[in-house]
Parts: sequence; structure tokens; C-alpha cells
Amino acid sequence: MGLFDWAGKLSRRGFLAGGAATIAAVAVTGPTILADPQNGAAPAGLNAEESRALLKFVRDLFPHDRLEDVFYAKAIAPLQEEAVKNSSTRELLAGGIARLNASTLASAGKAYADVADESVRVAAIKQIEGGAFFTKVHGDTITPLYNQPDLWPKFGYEGPSSALGGYIHRGFNDLDWL
Amino acid sequence: MAAKFDLNDSSVVVIIGSGAGGGTLANELARKGISVVVLEAGRRMEMAEFKNDEIGMFGAFTWLDPRTTSGSWYVTKTSPDLPVWTCKLVGGTTVHWGACALRFQEHEFKTRTRYGAIAGANLLDWPIDLKELAPYYDRAELRMGVTGTHGIPRLPASNHGKVLFAGAKKLGYTKYETTNMAINPVPRDGRAGCQQTGFCVQGCTFGAKWSTLHIDIPQAEATGKAEVRPESQVLRIEHDASGKVTGVVYADAAGNLQRQKARIVALAANSIESPRLLLNSSSSKFPQGLANSSGQVGKNYMRHMTSTVFAIFDKPVHMYRGTAQSGIVMDEARLDTKRGFVGGYQMELLPQGLPSFATNLVPGGWGRDRASIIDSYANIAGVWLVGEDLPRETNRITLHPNRKDKFGMPIPNVHSDDHPNDLAMQKHALAQADALYKSIGAKRTVHRLPFPSTHNMGTNRMSEKPADGVVNRFGQTHDIKNLFVSDGSQFTSSGGENPTLTIVALAIRQAEHIAGQMSKGEI
Ligand SMILES: Cc1cc2nc3c(=O)[nH]c(=O)nc-3n(C[C@H](O)[C@H](O)[C@H](O)COP(=O)(O)OP(=O)(O)OC[C@H]3O[C@@H](n4cnc5c(N)ncnc54)[C@H](O)[C@@H]3O)c2cc1C
Ligand code: SF4
Repeated sequence: MGLFDWAGKLSRRGFLAGGAATIAAVAVTGPTILADPQNGAAPAGLNAEESRALLKFVRDLFPHDRLEDVFYAKAIAPLQEEAVKNSSTRELLAGGIARLNASTLASAGKAYADVADESVRVAAIKQIEGGAFFTKVHGDTITPLYNQPDLWPKFGYEGPSSALGGYIHRGFNDLDWL
Repeated sequence: MAAKFDLNDSSVVVIIGSGAGGGTLANELARKGISVVVLEAGRRMEMAEFKNDEIGMFGAFTWLDPRTTSGSWYVTKTSPDLPVWTCKLVGGTTVHWGACALRFQEHEFKTRTRYGAIAGANLLDWPIDLKELAPYYDRAELRMGVTGTHGIPRLPASNHGKVLFAGAKKLGYTKYETTNMAINPVPRDGRAGCQQTGFCVQGCTFGAKWSTLHIDIPQAEATGKAEVRPESQVLRIEHDASGKVTGVVYADAAGNLQRQKARIVALAANSIESPRLLLNSSSSKFPQGLANSSGQVGKNYMRHMTSTVFAIFDKPVHMYRGTAQSGIVMDEARLDTKRGFVGGYQMELLPQGLPSFATNLVPGGWGRDRASIIDSYANIAGVWLVGEDLPRETNRITLHPNRKDKFGMPIPNVHSDDHPNDLAMQKHALAQADALYKSIGAKRTVHRLPFPSTHNMGTNRMSEKPADGVVNRFGQTHDIKNLFVSDGSQFTSSGGENPTLTIVALAIRQAEHIAGQMSKGEI
């Protein structure tokens, strides 16, 4: 559930002092596994349909219309990689996606990622909120999503400033509307 | 040049931990010509390794060894694996800290007398008072370069500060300013001036912020009387048949066990790890743990009443620009029981960069409403509410019955239940912060209940009588003359102020006492 759990995860995986490098690596990993459906499935991990549903799910969790899919693709990349290496992660993700699909098939006759009406998808998420799949995806994608430097300007965040001499000459006290 | 001492040199003072308490004590003792060995569990980072990277520096600085938690406090639900936020590196939590450096108020040293008996609380007066500590506060402020004291100018107000102050003024508050900060507004004492980068918590890349890593440790080493051994985690404190401590056993960087002999041991591992070590050092002579004849070791854990209010405006604030915590409203810090609680609280700026803001705002939260708040990031201001919480015997650090760390040491459990007084104060503080921001046009406010605890106090408390606490007025344990506690765990009450200036003042005072007793041959 955010930074503090993310850090706990890093420590459990033994990344400890390498936290910065690890996250940087995550951030540059491209959307390689977001394959187009024609190319078929990655051998051991999620297949293309599942990856598409996962991306849609993460978009619904953190819906920012101003963000293109590529940001969400980067956010799910670590999970996709984990699903390749770890069959229980694969099963958890595939099982969660299957439940989302079953739910929207019943309510709207379409697979989760194909449902255009957001409220239908949100209703499907409410049914699994707080469960193992939800918690895993939420916890493992939130930090990789928001920790992408390319995304920051879209929220008006200017980020690192030391190399630019801080904000002392770049507007730290330019507020004029009070 | 840094000194190098032999493991069998039993003339040294061993200091466990190099943070606010330990780093300061090392510097003070070394300058007096006393030999010190500082054993620090974390590694040594240099300023050049610091990056303006919230997530990366959190991972690099934070103590991430396993800890568990229990009790009714919010953190058990939102951050069960990381209930408290402390650092593990040379310099301790002063590398992360925001540098807000406040003195305690007079009444906060005498809570039992001033507040009376309160059900469910274990109140006690400190054996010292403000008058006694004042000269040491002076020295701490000069050493750390605290703005607004001793002729040191204040930092300029940032956008974020201007918003806070405008709201405070509108609400009728009068005590607001850019905070007494241990950050140089202009170059001073070999340290640079602040460049308003806003990444104070990620380790100041300019060295404008005081930390023991940059100031006290190098100064201590320069005397030729101090050796700092990083990646050295102490596992036990040992004693002889008479009950005097004789040294410590620690795991070195390679994981090998070493025994460092000592004339005196000073424990400065912070309020979680210091009681953990005392409890883990039990022996046939001290079956309850060292220095624990009172049974108070690990008890009376305090972590301040805290909460954060974020306010959304129509216009830009850019809260991340500028010195992070430099802005405070102190009007609610007074003692005024008409508000429905004892003690008081401060209102302090709390900016966050987008990555931490977005990941921590709503634990477990999702959907359009949450996203709309993040979408307003540039127009958001944040204030941290931090006030006195009451000591309770049942809020305590214990050794986990079966979980152990990689060196085989039982991990600590942090138990905390909110006292009704803490909850009453929290409610008041949230309402006041809402009113403050709404008074100047905030469209909406969002409450964030406590983050993992950054202010940790009280688990080896100071007391006049040995039966009531663990250490005396100098931080010397009641039970063992050559064993000292030098960190925030000495606190008898938590005050409404951030704790570090008080930790540093106590360490400076303790160094005088240790030197005096050593020269008299008493220890
Ligand atoms: C993000 C953040 C912001 C903060 N901002 C402020 C602020 O603005 N103002 C303020 O007053 N306070 C602030 N604090 C709190 C402040 O940092 C602490 O109060 C202070 O550093 C505590 O000092 P200490 O000496 O008790 O322990 P620490 O500074 O935590 O030092 C303890 C050291 O002991 C080491 N250690 C632990 N166990 C062992 C062992 N077994 N063997 C060897 N070494 C060991 C640790 O690795 C650590 O380096 C902040 C804290 C955080 C996390
Ligand atoms: S704002 Fe000032 S104190 Fe904070 S990191 Fe930047 S230079 Fe250092």
C-alpha cells in the first residue's frame, strides 16, 4: 500500500542498499510484454489478453485521463516479469483477471478489458477489492507508476533540483495569488 | 585522523549508534580527549551518493530489518511491516530528518504535576527542568546552526509557507514563522547555505542541513580520539560478576562476531533498538534484561499524536519547491485544557514530492476520487500536525517470541494503543487545519492519519527514583553506573515539539557528566 510497503518488499527481496538502482531499472523497463494479440502469448508469463486486462485494471485503479497507456505499461512491467519467473504469481494474476472477466461477462456480456462503460468495470473491481489479487497488483504497481520521471511534468511536478541549483532562483517563493 | 582502537582496549567508551544522540556524544567526548568507538549497524554513505530521489533514498537510508506491530494505532493497519521510520546508516535518522529544531516548553518537563493523574497514562515529571537544560539547548543550537536563535537569520518563506501563514493569519493565529531550522540560510561554520532544493529528507546534497554524518562524526574523527565502525550491529551488552558492563558483542560487516571491550557503554540506537538491546542482554544476574530492575525498559513508548491535512486550491502552490519543513504555526502548542485535552500540538509544513504523495495519500485507495486529488498535485498544500502523546506502560517494545533477525537476535514488536487524549487532540488538530486552509479558499481538504512513526521516544525513561524509570537525570542507568542511554528513549514525556534538539542537548550535557565522573575515577 504505497511507499512503506514497497520498501518492505525491497528489503524482503534483499535489495536493501540497492533500492535506488532497482527502482530505476524498473522505471526504464519498457512495455515489452504488452505484446499485440496477434503475436500470441509470452511462453510462461501472462498471455497478451491477460496483459491487456491487467493494464486496464491498473488504469481503473489509478485513472488519470492525461496519461497514455505507456505509463501504465511500465507500471505493470515488474509484475509481468515476476509472472514469468514465479508460477504462483502467474496463477494469482491469471485467476484475478479471470474473476474480473467472469464478472463483466455476467453483467455486460464482455470481457473486462472490452467493457467501455467504466462503471461496469468499477463494479467488478468492488467485488474483489481487498483480496489477494487486488492487494498484490495495487501494492506492486502504484510506486512504479508514479515514480516515472516522464510522468511528473504532467502533474506539474518538477522533480530533482540539486543539479539545477535548487529552486532558489526557480520560483520557490513566486506565489502571487494570496 | 580517525583513531583505530584494539578490540581488547578496555579504556574506551563504546557508543552504540551514530544518530542524533550517539553522533553528538561521540563528538563531545572526543573533543574532551576521551577515546570513543562508535559501533553503527548501517553503512557509511557520502554526500556525493545522495540523490533527489524520494523512493531511492528511502530504500537506501531506512532501517528495513523486520519489525512487527500491534495495538489500536492506525499504523498496524496501513503499514504493519514498517511501523516506525528510522534510519540505518552512519548519522542515523539525522540524515533523513527535516531539521525542525524546537525546544520543549517548561510545562512539558513536569507533566505529572501540571496535568495531574490521568487514567490510562503513566505520567511522570522529568528529574530536570527547562532552566537546567537551557544552557545545553544554547550549545545545541549553536552547534547545529539553528535559524532564529543566537542571531542566525531565518530562512525565507516558500510558496508553501506563504499559504500556511496566510491561513494562520486569517484564523487569528499569531505565532507563525519559518521555524527554527537546523539549516543554514547563508553559509556558516564551513557549511553551505540552503538552495531551496526541497529534498531535505533525501539527504541534503549541499550540506546546508545539519546531520551527525556531516558535522559531528567528521569533527570527532578529526580529534584523533574517535573511531567509527560502520556495518557493526551490536547484539549484546556484557557485564562482569559485579554487574558493571565490560563491553559489547557485535556482528561486523562480514557477519563475524566481535567483542569490543569498554570502560563505559552508551546506548544510542534509538527508542526501538535501545530497549531491544537491553532486553536481549539478559543474564542470570539480570534475568529481566540489563538496567531493568524497575521493569520499565521498553515501556512508555511515545510516538506523538500525528496526522496530516492536505488542502486543494484553485491556483498553484508547488509545495515541493523549497526547504521542506520550513514553516510552523505554534498557537496550539500551549497547555489549555479547555480544548478537551492536555498537552499541545504544532502545525508544521509537510510537502511531498509526487512519488511519495501519490503512493501514500490514501492507503489502499483507488478510483476516480483519489485520482482527482493526485491530479491537483500542483495546487496542494500540506500541514503536519504533531503533538504530545501520553506515556502508557502498555505501549511498549518487546522481543518477538519466535521471530529473529539475520544475526539470530529476536526482532522487536512495537505495541501502541491511542489514549483518548491523543484522539481528542487529533480531532481538534484536524478541524483547525481544515479551518485554516478553508479560510483562504481551499476547495477541499484531505486527511491522512499517521505515517509510520518518525518521532520515537520514552522506552528507557528518565526518573528521579529508580523504581519509576530506567535512567537518572544524566541518562545514566539507575542500575549500572557505567551504562548510559543517550538517545530519544530517555524522554520522560514527549512534549509537543519534534524531539531531536532535545536529544542533542541531553547528549551534550551527558558528555560533561561522563567526563567529570571519569576524571574523578567514579566510572
Ligand atoms: C523523515 C523524518 C523526518 C524527521 N524530521 C525531524 C525534524 O524535523 N525534527 C526533529 O526533531 N526530528 C525529526 N525526525 C526525527 C529524528 O530524526 C529523530 O528524533 C532522531 O534522529 C533520533 O535520534 P536517536 O539518537 O534517538 O536515534 P537515530 O538518529 O535513529 O540513531 C540511531 C542509530 O543507531 C543505529 N543502531 C540501531 N541499533 C543498533 C545496533 N544494535 N548496533 C549498532 N547500531 C545500531 C541505527 O542504525 C541508527 O543509525 C525525523 C525523522 C524522520 C524519519
Ligand atoms: S532545501 Fe536546503 S536544506 Fe533542504 S536539501 Fe536543499 S539545500 Fe539542503
